[in-house]
Amino acid sequence: MTALLSARGLKLAFGGVKAADGIDLDVGAGEFLAIIGPNGAGKTTFINMTTGYLRPQAGAILYDGRPILGLAPRRLVTLGIGRSFQLPQLFGEHSVAENLALAIAAREGFWSPFRPLMRPVWRDEADEVLARFGILDLSETRADALNEGARKLVDIAVAVALRPRLILMDEPTSGVAGADKMAIVETLVRVLRDAGVTAVFVEHDMEVVGRFADRVAVWAQGRIAALGPPDEVLADPAVRRDVIGIDPGEDVHAAA
Amino acid sequence: MSAWFVENGMLLGLATLDGVSSAASVFMVAVGLNLVFGVLRVLNVAHGSLYAIGGYAAASTSLFLLARGMPAWAALPLLLVSSAIVGGILGPPIERLLRLMQGQEEVLQLLVTFALFMILEDGQKLVWGVRPVVSDAPVKVLGTIEVPFGSDAIPFTAYQLLVLPGVALLTLAVLAFVLRRTLFGRMIVAVTVDREAARAMGIDAGRVTLLTFSAGAALAALGGALASPTTSLVPGIGASTIVLSFAVVATAGLGQIEGAALSAFMIGLGRSLAVYFAPELEVVVPYLIMVAVLLVRPQGLFGTLEARRI
Repeated sequence: MTALLSARGLKLAFGGVKAADGIDLDVGAGEFLAIIGPNGAGKTTFINMTTGYLRPQAGAILYDGRPILGLAPRRLVTLGIGRSFQLPQLFGEHSVAENLALAIAAREGFWSPFRPLMRPVWRDEADEVLARFGILDLSETRADALNEGARKLVDIAVAVALRPRLILMDEPTSGVAGADKMAIVETLVRVLRDAGVTAVFVEHDMEVVGRFADRVAVWAQGRIAALGPPDEVLADPAVRRDVIGIDPGEDVHAAA
Repeated sequence: MSAWFVENGMLLGLATLDGVSSAASVFMVAVGLNLVFGVLRVLNVAHGSLYAIGGYAAASTSLFLLARGMPAWAALPLLLVSSAIVGGILGPPIERLLRLMQGQEEVLQLLVTFALFMILEDGQKLVWGVRPVVSDAPVKVLGTIEVPFGSDAIPFTAYQLLVLPGVALLTLAVLAFVLRRTLFGRMIVAVTVDREAARAMGIDAGRVTLLTFSAGAALAALGGALASPTTSLVPGIGASTIVLSFAVVATAGLGQIEGAALSAFMIGLGRSLAVYFAPELEVVVPYLIMVAVLLVRPQGLFGTLEARRI
């Protein structure tokens, strides 16, 4: 497995807090890597460094073999690195299709002041992406009328519309109620796997991690404390105690 | 009461017309300020200098060209052209400077933009001096209109009656259309609402900011250019305008385009009524209106507490 993303010796401190204290990580092409760990361990910081929102004080990040530190977020998007945020960022007064069209049009890079908001080709492409997520019927729905689960899917659909090769997702299922959660993750994983997208995602739900991740990285105080297949890592007594909590049955997300 | 109206009806009509025309130019400045704050998140005090420079540039170019045989009617389109040039020349370097201030402490932002304002004000004195500059060709060329008022008629310049409010309304319509219905407008809104998410969408936030800032600068310059034929240009007009447009923006609520138009109208009208009926209150009336509104609705007339939409 060749590495699509390689982090080497990433260090970043905010005042005295070490958000990254020597992160070394390789993510293989096509891999699904889950990041778990307590709040403040530096999980989101890693996503922010990889997507160009934060610059580490030391270290290097290689994407597809080329160094990408210092490149602007927009440039990384054009190279094929997409991201989603913990809270979905959609334009409420616009339809779902229009939200996707904005990303599709931005990807094309060319725009003039009076270009219309929607063009048939964008519309078709938006609908095609929505169909893959099985939410084509939401195409005309205003984004602020969506329930939380649908918002999550649409938010990821916007990222997928940018045709990423690598996607970094910050808690893709946070805020979604239990019953819907698995269905959403299943859809999400199916679409990303079909498109051959490599995924790195922060997740607090160990059931999701166990079912969908190829490998798990455990973050603790800016370092990777454990890394390996989910069944091994999640069975590690230290991980169970420090990350998952004493009672594996309790709602880890709520506890965190 | 009715006797008062009979006696003062004409004045009331005149004050209303005056209010509308002065509201028009303040609106242009305020709406530009609003756009710029939205994408840049820096309150630009120097925005008022662009109003003053826009006015001076329009007036002096017009005087210069008229003296060399330009037909009088051409002074009207010249207002637009000179404003676009002022916005295009001054907008980008100022945007570069203010971008350095993004995310800095607000006090620092205020000090830097205030310093910039002082520099531009002095630069303007160097170029145009301190003696009043008057260029009323655009007003003269259109003549006056008798506005019917009961059995009487109020003579009012066609320029103030039609051109000023007309350009303001057109600006309002174009802005509303661009922001809501075009791709570029949605990108401006995207950067305004959430710069980080916009960048994750692949939007070139820097370019959107630069273009929006330049457009805002051109609008401020146009506000000054439009006002220039109706007043004499003197040092200090930039300062009084920026304070007035702060009042308009605060009254309307940040990010409100139509709201800014309405509150510019309220404040313009309030001020011109004061000019005619209580001259000693002229300076404070706009702020009394602002304070009264903010006491009842701290987010402004049309603002919502959480949304930062345009």
